Amino acid sequence: MTYDVIVVGGGLAGLTSAALLAKAGRRVVVLERRAVLGGLHSTDEVAPGVRGDAVAHDIGWIPSSVMKTLGLDERALALLRPDPSAVSLLPGGKTLTLWTDPARTASELQRHSPNDARAWRGFGERVARLAGFLQAIYEGPAPEPLASGATELLSMLGLGRKVRSLGGAGIIDLLRTLPMSVADVLDETFEHPALKGLVAASGVTRLVQGPKSGATAFLLVHHHVGAPPGAIGARLIARGGLGALANALAESARAAGAEIRTGSAVTQIVTTEDGVKGVVLAGGDEIAASTLLSTLDPRRTLHGLIDPIYIDPELSQAIGAVKYRGACAKVNLVLDRLPALSEELLRGALVVAPDMGYLERAFDAAKYGAISERPYLEARIPTLHDASLAPAGRHVMSVLVQWVPYRLRGASWDGARREALGDLVVDTLGDVLPGFRERVVARQVLTPKDLEDRYGATEGSLTHGELTLDQVLFMRPVPGLSRHATPISGLYLAGPGTHPGSSIASAARAAAAMGAAKRRPFPRPRGDRVPLTR
Amino acid sequence: MRNGKVDAIVIGAGHNGLICAAYLARAGKKVLVLERRHLVGGAAVTEEIVPGFKFSEFSYVVSLLRPEIIRELDLPGHGLQILPLESTVTPMLDGNYLAAWGDHDETRRELYRHSPLDADAYDEFGILMHHMAHAVKPIIGMMPPDPTSLSPRELLSLGKLGGHMRSLGARKFYALHKLMTMSSADYLDEWFETDVLKATKSASGIIGTFMGPRSPGSAYVLLHHYMGEIDGAFRAWGFQKGGTGGVSDAIAGAAKRLGAEIKLEAPVGRVIVKNGRASGVALENGDEYHADIVVSGLDPKRTFLKLVEERELPGDFVANIKRFKTRGSSGKVNLALSELPRLTCMEPENIARWKGVPIPPERYLRGAISISPTMDYVERAYDDAKHGSFSKRPYMDVVIPSMIDPEMAPPGQHVMSIFCQYAPFAIEGGWDDAKREAFGDAVIDALAVHAPNIKSAIIARQVLTPADIERITGLTEGNIFQGELALDQLFFLRPAPGYAKYRTPVDGFYQCGSGTHPGGGIMGASGRLAALTILGERS
Repeated sequence: MTYDVIVVGGGLAGLTSAALLAKAGRRVVVLERRAVLGGLHSTDEVAPGVRGDAVAHDIGWIPSSVMKTLGLDERALALLRPDPSAVSLLPGGKTLTLWTDPARTASELQRHSPNDARAWRGFGERVARLAGFLQAIYEGPAPEPLASGATELLSMLGLGRKVRSLGGAGIIDLLRTLPMSVADVLDETFEHPALKGLVAASGVTRLVQGPKSGATAFLLVHHHVGAPPGAIGARLIARGGLGALANALAESARAAGAEIRTGSAVTQIVTTEDGVKGVVLAGGDEIAASTLLSTLDPRRTLHGLIDPIYIDPELSQAIGAVKYRGACAKVNLVLDRLPALSEELLRGALVVAPDMGYLERAFDAAKYGAISERPYLEARIPTLHDASLAPAGRHVMSVLVQWVPYRLRGASWDGARREALGDLVVDTLGDVLPGFRERVVARQVLTPKDLEDRYGATEGSLTHGELTLDQVLFMRPVPGLSRHATPISGLYLAGPGTHPGSSIASAARAAAAMGAAKRRPFPRPRGDRVPLTR
Repeated sequence: MRNGKVDAIVIGAGHNGLICAAYLARAGKKVLVLERRHLVGGAAVTEEIVPGFKFSEFSYVVSLLRPEIIRELDLPGHGLQILPLESTVTPMLDGNYLAAWGDHDETRRELYRHSPLDADAYDEFGILMHHMAHAVKPIIGMMPPDPTSLSPRELLSLGKLGGHMRSLGARKFYALHKLMTMSSADYLDEWFETDVLKATKSASGIIGTFMGPRSPGSAYVLLHHYMGEIDGAFRAWGFQKGGTGGVSDAIAGAAKRLGAEIKLEAPVGRVIVKNGRASGVALENGDEYHADIVVSGLDPKRTFLKLVEERELPGDFVANIKRFKTRGSSGKVNLALSELPRLTCMEPENIARWKGVPIPPERYLRGAISISPTMDYVERAYDDAKHGSFSKRPYMDVVIPSMIDPEMAPPGQHVMSIFCQYAPFAIEGGWDDAKREAFGDAVIDALAVHAPNIKSAIIARQVLTPADIERITGLTEGNIFQGELALDQLFFLRPAPGYAKYRTPVDGFYQCGSGTHPGGGIMGASGRLAALTILGERS
């Protein structure tokens, strides 16, 4: 069997690009190291007889073009957008809730702060406007400000037009807001500490930065690309866990003719002067193909799988300088009873981020290589959306805990520290949910080191590299590689480590760069790449 | 002059106000400068706070004063004399130290002692920064274009800016992007491995800001250290002979020579606006002065929220000015000393222990002492501030002006200037005398760790919190740049969108302080560009 394209990695990015490439007539094989598909978005057994979201428990954005091209609908993907979007768990059993309907949130805010209730709708519209602009950029290839040629100039002009369509005030708001700290943005807009804490969480999630750090407003906007206007904090989950989404994408890929092999770990990408020749698998088997798409993160791909002789030292250095810095650990809890809160609220994301000062202090620990003593938590209960994940009466709760450094200062991750982290999470939830501790019957703790070892996430980064202004657009993953092609002929990069920083959208961009939209030979890599760190 | 009419009134005799006045006078305008205090200079003053000891009370080094201003106003002819600041010594916690010298090779040899890799990278870093400073220089000197306007002139200006960026080439373009968006800690991590080197360099990225070295956006200020050098007029940083007030005196002298009149102890209470046009000012005592051109050198908040009636300004403009961030973050401690400090790390036996090159005190004490022993030290100093208190162990930039200019202190005695960060304006519970003294103690204690004789050498001390800086100089919240130098407050956003070109919503009323583009430090570009705007000339 010969293939046109080898796709390395069976996560959401790998499956999406495989489906798109197969749909365009390519013979595609997907190679996944693990036994299950989905990567960071898989559904695994988290305790005997209980399944749940292995790592990530929600996603932000699936471009409608992908849905359309693959003929998918949200039902087939088992997707839903929980309402409420987010519930802040506050001391004394109090809550603050964000609903997908801004009017409902505003009326909820009325009892906390009439001023904030009035400001809510305008804030939602502002975020939606800024996110809409990012989305317009994200739907195309990364803008290349230095590129020359008519096509590039036209695309820059198109981008200029998009900026201008925002109008004068919109342009100013965009340029002014993106580099700001989310704390400054929220302090300008709202007064209630709990509201600011809950919204600020969207600006720092998965990032080793606090709400007062510069450019965290960008991350807030980034996380609202594709979200319904005004639905701050709204994310997509999959019924049955995100593995169900992976499986649906795999079905689509197979239906289009792609082959998917699990338990196939790629140990080497074979290259010569002429470019990619194929891969070597862990068992020693080889698969030949002259085109390869890696959805592993860029460092794992370029530093881990390719003979360094084929990588320009300057590019290698640039790849080495990409900031990964995982911020989160994952704790899966099995509960014998739901937490003491209304079931309606429990369907949303449960957030422990009572105010911005709390987040800022939680972040401080990570700067010095320590685990936050009072961490920021984001929890979901997938069994409320699909009871079959656990035996009757039991629930699984998925908790992302931040900030937990990948590198502990003066220590390394071991069993005792892992268990201490589990205790910390249960205690933190116990402080805001009465009687919570007694309901936990089993748990699984995955440190950032575990996320790297088990899911291949470099330094435990769930986003394959930090989403900061210096690592997005034409800088993602490094200058010269933002259009997915690499200097090695036939080698392409996809996954959230590439533009625009979201698994499925990045895969769609990579597939487009490989000519999936048009049935013509794969384009040659551009000769004028200039990868540079320094 | 009382109730008389002049062509232009400049409010505030800070360095930008004086420069603006000088340029207006040079063009033949009849100019009157009104200053609230008894001396010119604003935050660039020399005062004899303790008899016999002259303090550069606030601003203490000169780095970026534009060479075209020095030339066009003939400032050396009016007393401008910059004495170079030759070195920086950073004492470390383990007794070691890092020294940097005016002589590049000497610095390189010292760095080699810490890390041969860094010594090599230092060359490459210096060259790139030098190029980057050249790349940024035209942007600093230009009027910010208005990105929302479709007028041919604005589009041309935007196009020129775009062309300039593209002409930088890939290496510099991406490096500039990184400098604008990264934290200084991350940026330096890509270059160096020696923590004390990164800490000392990153400290320059946080001066005057309310950011820590790990906050994105702090890398840009690293460039500023390389800006002074490129003009060839003097080294990156230096002292004015006789203290910083001498710079202001030189500019004031030039302005007067060109015909401007400067009136001291004349606090302006409000700008007189008639039918949407500025027609003069009224002093706090009620005296009025009339002119068709009124220029404010005060910070944007003081200018628009105190001097002008709110009804004269558009609502969204007022909202923009209100949210302009002016959080003061630094304080100043000025000391009169009976003897020189002795740095433990620079004692000959210690230098020998660390295999350094012996340096006599009279040499290294002519330079700066940076209290920035580790990156974490600086970051923790910020942590205290962001949670509402002054740094228990602040970052400090210490200089001894009397080492360079003996006339600053009585023979055998010295003055010491300590810039310290962080001291937030909005400290929890507000500043009071007890907190000021506690802050002063923290500064002295942190310095005594490295120079144990400092406590017994103190004859007198002056502690200036941001609240004091606001009270004395009028700078809102004690912000030394009249508004934070953050990406969202630079270029066409400084101080407010649509009003970055020195004009204001009131006809005939202009702004020229460092709260406008490019802002910051004793640079003078704002005052000059404002004058050129008023005169209808292009920069």
